[in-house]
Amino acid sequence: MNDPGSGLIVTGLRKSFGALEIIKGVELSVAKGERHAVIGPNGAGKSTLFHLITGRFPASDGRIELDGTDITGWSAHQIFRAGLARSFQVTSLFPKLSVFENLRCGAMRNFGAGVSVFRLLDGFRPLAEQAERTMEALGLTHRRHVAAGSLAYAEQRALEIGVAIAGGAHTILLDEPTAGMSRTETERAVALIRKVTEGRTLVMIEHDLGVVFDLADRISVLADGKVIASGPPDQVRGDAAVRTAYLGAAAEVLT
Amino acid sequence: MKRWAPWIAAAFAALLLPHLFASGFGLSLLNRMGIAIVFALSFNMLLGQGGMLDFGHAIMLGFGGFLAMHAMRLAGLGWFIPTPLLPLVGAAGGLASALLTGWIATRRDRTAFAMITLGLAELVVAVVLMFPSVFGGEEGINGDRSDGPAILGFDFGSQMQVYHVVAVWTWISALLMWRTTLTPLGRLANAVRDNPERVGFLGYDPARVRFRVYVLSGLFAGIAGGLQAINDEIMTSGNIGSEASGAVLLMTFIGGIGTFWGPILGAVLIVLLQVALGTLTDAWQLYSGLLFVAMVVWAPGGLAGILLAHAPVMRAGRLGQLVGHYLRLIPGFALALAGVAGLSELAFRLEAIRGGASTGRIMGLAIDATAAWPWLVAAVLFLAGAALLNRTFPQARAAWQAAAQ
Ligand SMILES: Nc1ncnc2c1ncn2[C@@H]1O[C@H](COP(=O)(O)OP(=O)(O)OP(=O)(O)O)[C@@H](O)[C@H]1O
Ligand SMILES: [Mg+2]
Repeated sequence: MNDPGSGLIVTGLRKSFGALEIIKGVELSVAKGERHAVIGPNGAGKSTLFHLITGRFPASDGRIELDGTDITGWSAHQIFRAGLARSFQVTSLFPKLSVFENLRCGAMRNFGAGVSVFRLLDGFRPLAEQAERTMEALGLTHRRHVAAGSLAYAEQRALEIGVAIAGGAHTILLDEPTAGMSRTETERAVALIRKVTEGRTLVMIEHDLGVVFDLADRISVLADGKVIASGPPDQVRGDAAVRTAYLGAAAEVLT
Repeated sequence: MKRWAPWIAAAFAALLLPHLFASGFGLSLLNRMGIAIVFALSFNMLLGQGGMLDFGHAIMLGFGGFLAMHAMRLAGLGWFIPTPLLPLVGAAGGLASALLTGWIATRRDRTAFAMITLGLAELVVAVVLMFPSVFGGEEGINGDRSDGPAILGFDFGSQMQVYHVVAVWTWISALLMWRTTLTPLGRLANAVRDNPERVGFLGYDPARVRFRVYVLSGLFAGIAGGLQAINDEIMTSGNIGSEASGAVLLMTFIGGIGTFWGPILGAVLIVLLQVALGTLTDAWQLYSGLLFVAMVVWAPGGLAGILLAHAPVMRAGRLGQLVGHYLRLIPGFALALAGVAGLSELAFRLEAIRGGASTGRIMGLAIDATAAWPWLVAAVLFLAGAALLNRTFPQARAAWQAAAQ
C-alpha cells in the first residue's frame, strides 16, 4: 500500500487558459488503494485538475505519474488503458444508447473488445455479465432498454458513475458523483462507490462533507489553484488555513 | 432464429421478384434498387450509425466502379475475371479510396468532417477530369459485361442474369453491414456518434473508430460501384461527383437514418420516383428535393421513423382508430401536391417555350403555360390543399398521440 512510486502522484502541475492561470502548481499524492477526496470552493480548479490528470487537455507544466509511469501528455484513451477511469461533473453519457449499452461501452475495453468487426459483441459473455452486474448495483435493471437521454436526472447521475466503474479500472476519478441526488440516492451511490473501490484507488471531488468524511481515507483541499492542505480527515478538519480559505460558514459542520 | 427471419424472407423475395417484374423495365428498376440499397446502407453506416455526414460518399462508389470497369475491360482482353466477382474489385477500389480520403476526413468529427468531405468531393471530380486516360474524361469509360468468362454457361449479358448478380451481392452486403452493427466496432460507432469525447475516456481513440467505420463503409460503397459498373456498363465523372453524393444523402434520409433498414425504404422509394417521374417530367429532382425538405421538417425520422411511431399503436391494437384521420389527410395532400406539381411544371414549360419549344403537353394534358389561368388554378389548388392540411394534420397528429399513449 505504501510502496513508493505507486498510486497517483501529481507534481508542480500548472494550467493556464490564455493569460489566466487556473492551476497554479498542484502537488497531490494518492497512495495505491487509498480513497482520496478533493474538496474546495467553487471555481477552485478541481474539475480542471481532473481534466489534466485524465488527458482531456494538456497541462502547461508539471508531471503526472500513475503507478510509476509518467503519463504526462498522454491522450485520454491511453491514460484509460493505463488503468485510470473517470466520471464527469456534467453528465457525459451516450444519449441514444440504452442503459445496458452505455454500461457495456464503459466496460468494453477492459473486457477484451478491440475496435473490431469480427466477433459479435454478444459473444463477449463476461462483458455482458459485468454490464448486467453494474446495472443491478445501480438499481437501473428495470430501465435496461431505456435510452440514457430519456432517464431522469438522478438516474443519469447514477449511470454516469456506472459507466466510469464498469470497466473495473484500478484507479477511479469521480467528479461530484452525488451532485443532484436525493438523500437516499446519495446513500445508495456512496455504498456502491465504497463497494466497487474496495482495494482500488479512488479520487473523488465532493461538496457533500458528510460523504467526504464518511468515505475518504485522506482529503486534499484545493483553493485558488493550489492544494493548501492534505491529510487524514481529522488533520484537515483542524487546519487553520483550510478554515479561512474554504470552510467559512461550513466550519460548524467540522467541529 | 427470429433474427434471421427477415433475411430468409428477403432471400425468398429476391427469388420471386424478377418473375413478378420480368420485363426489361422491371428488371432494370430492380437492379437499380439493389445498387441503391447497398449504397444507401453504406452511407448510413456513416451518418446514422457513426454520426458522420459524408458529402463525398460517391467518391468511394465511383472509385470502386471505375476499378471494376477497368477489370471488366481486362476481361475483354482475355484475363480471367468473372463478371459476378467484379463487385469484389469494386470493394477493393472503394476501400482504397476510403483509406486515402478517410485518413484526412476522420481526424475531425461533425461539421468539420462534413466540410472536409465536401472539399474532397470537389477535388476528386477535378482529379477525375485531369486523367482522361484512367477515367475517360467527360465521356467516361465503358465496357462489356459479357466479355468475362462464362460461368456454368451464363455470360451475364442479359438483364435477368445481372439481376441475380445484383441480388446476391445486395443480400450479402446488407447482411454483413447489419452484422457490423452487432460488433464492438458497430457499438463504438454509435458511441462516437453520441459522444465522441467520452469514448476517449473509455479507452478508445474516437478518430480511430471513425476511420475504421469509414473504411468499412467505403468497402461496401465500392461493392455498389462494382454492381453499377456491371449494370450500366459505363462509369462517368457524374457517378463520382457531388450530385451522386447528394442523391444518396437524400434517399438515406428520406428512408430514415435512425434504423438499420430505413435506408432500404428510401432507396426503393427514390429509385421508383426517379424512374416513374423521370418518364413523366424533367422536374423529378424538384420533387425528390421537396420530399426531402418536407421530411427534414416534419418527419426527421424518415419513413422508418413514421412506421416506428406506429409500433406502440399497433401493439395496443388501436391502428384502426387512426385510419379515418389519416384518410382525411388525403384530399388536402392531393390538392397541395397537384398545386405544387402544376406550378413547377408550368414554370419548366414556360422556360422551355422561351427557349423556343412549342406549347406542348404537361403531364399529358394540353395546357398553355403562357396563359394566366393555369397558373391561377394551380395556385388555388395549392392554397386550398394547404388550408385543408392545416386543419386535418393537427387532428391526425392528436389522434396519433392519443392512440400511442
Ligand atoms: N476551458 C476553460 N477556459 C477558460 N477558463 C476555464 C476553462 N475551464 C475552466 N475554466 C475556469 O477555471 C476555473 C476553475 O474551474 P473548475 O471547473 O475546475 O472549478 P471547480 O473547482 O471544479 O468548481 P465547481 O466546484 O464549481 O465544479 C473557473 O473559474 C472556470 O471558469
Ligand atoms: Mg467542478
